[in-house]
Amino acid sequence: MSIFRQAPPKTLSSSDLAAPDYAIDVEGLGVRYNLRLTRQTTVRGSFRNLLKRNEGPTHFWALRDVSFRVVPGESLAVIGPNGAGKSTLLQVLAGIIQPNEGAVDVVGHISSLLTLGAGFDQDLSGRDNIRLAGAFLGIPHRVMEEQLPGIIEFADIGEFIDASIKTYSSGMRARLGFSIATAVDPDVLIIDEVLSTGDAVFRAKSKQRIIELTKNAKGIVLVTHDMAWVTEFCNRALLLDHGHVIKEGPPEEVVALHEERSEQARIAREAELARKIAAVEGTQPSPAS
Amino acid sequence: MLRSRADMATTTAGARPLRVARRPGSLELIADGFREIWTHRRLTRYLVRADLKKHGSDTLLGNVWWVLDPLLQMAVYVILVSVIFKSGKEDYPLFVFSAILPWKWFSSAVNDGIMSVTQRERIIKQVKFPKIVLPVAAAVGGIVNFTFGLIPLFGLMIFFYADRLSPYVVLIPVIAAVQFVFSLATAVFVSAVNVFFRDIGNVARHGLRLWFYLSPGLYAFSDVAGRLDGLVGRVLSLNPWTPLFESYRAVIYNETMPDWGGLTGLLIVSAGLLCLAILFFKRVEPAFAKVL
Repeated sequence: MSIFRQAPPKTLSSSDLAAPDYAIDVEGLGVRYNLRLTRQTTVRGSFRNLLKRNEGPTHFWALRDVSFRVVPGESLAVIGPNGAGKSTLLQVLAGIIQPNEGAVDVVGHISSLLTLGAGFDQDLSGRDNIRLAGAFLGIPHRVMEEQLPGIIEFADIGEFIDASIKTYSSGMRARLGFSIATAVDPDVLIIDEVLSTGDAVFRAKSKQRIIELTKNAKGIVLVTHDMAWVTEFCNRALLLDHGHVIKEGPPEEVVALHEERSEQARIAREAELARKIAAVEGTQPSPAS
Repeated sequence: MLRSRADMATTTAGARPLRVARRPGSLELIADGFREIWTHRRLTRYLVRADLKKHGSDTLLGNVWWVLDPLLQMAVYVILVSVIFKSGKEDYPLFVFSAILPWKWFSSAVNDGIMSVTQRERIIKQVKFPKIVLPVAAAVGGIVNFTFGLIPLFGLMIFFYADRLSPYVVLIPVIAAVQFVFSLATAVFVSAVNVFFRDIGNVARHGLRLWFYLSPGLYAFSDVAGRLDGLVGRVLSLNPWTPLFESYRAVIYNETMPDWGGLTGLLIVSAGLLCLAILFFKRVEPAFAKVL
């Protein structure tokens, strides 16, 4: 890969240009991870990498040649097996990761609900965490103070709101994360697997909130494993595997293809396992000999 | 419709024609960095406050430690130098204290700065925000400790060394401002390096200790100036902490004007280093979410 193919890493907000007829436009998107630069490298590790420069793959594409468009009012579900690049796609849309190839254009203010509550500060109280999260999300102080009572009420944390987050149950954390992330009406909403947080009561409540947001938002992209949600609430679905778009279209068709493929993958895995077991048993000497 | 400041920034940048390959220039990146620090000052404030709350709430004595800590460290050096080596100077406790106080601020800025980006790994992966506020908060956080440290300093001066108290002490904030620019540059730089090389923390632990002993903190520059030549002498005279320690000591201990020449030079160098550190940070920032 020559460096010339490195397209402009760019996330434009073109609301000041002529009004576009899309909420999200993704064209030829590619995201490459450098395998030499992974977490927890040490100086010694880098020297080792320098010596072994020509061995093995140096990078891998988490996403490649991904193109799609979300028109206003549309709700797109991204589905696919683990490691398909779904979360990377959402990170690019949210502007957290910059693409190595292609272009991404998102119109308006984006709110991303990526792994909820993961950024909480364990030693702070729930209330302080709400304020801190608001500041990280770039929400103006005044708006955040107005929203604060509503967020606390929706999360249903009670008097624990002034206790430190480390005393919270995982359900409480998820509820708090959800109510912070959905407190502000975004133009474009990006949701990563949040529909299954909390208990049944909260799930119903959060479903209601998502549906409300869907009505107001210009566009929604969500990643989920809940196929019923996909067919019920999304207008379109996108099946990703190994960083490539396998199929894009009406939710029922895409979900059907995804289920068929998962079934095939499962059968293939089982066959492989059976073959391995057979091979192991075959090598063992039989008691007769 | 709600629109955050960060988004407005991208909107103005988006006025450029679409899809043109362009790498932002160095000056642009530096200006961006300063702008982000300014527009996200509230986030910095929350981060500092969060950090202070954490430090105060876990321990039995809480915030009393901010006052006690430099005093105890002073006691250690006084015992070592005055009692064991018998080479202390007149009013040695005040002499050392004037060095311990600013050094604690610097070393906490460096140590917290190293961790500042990597410890926020999870939020970096889920929210888009200017990462530069993280090391800035680490450097700013030390100001509060430093300010609290002034309480025992003035306590010492009023109750034990009243004859050394002079109007020059009002210049402490000026010296601290120069130190702040230098600390900020260091914190921004090490925070970005630590994302790629996690062993910076180990290096810093020993590096800082050596740096303190190679700076005129426990001794005066004039004590060693005549004896040192070659490498150590050059290190000592180029050391940014030489003018800083000498200046703090001038206004606190010697009742004289600080080393204005040295401070001005250091301020200019630190401002340059800060620009370079911000440039480096902004250049590698896009890789953070992938590497972490």
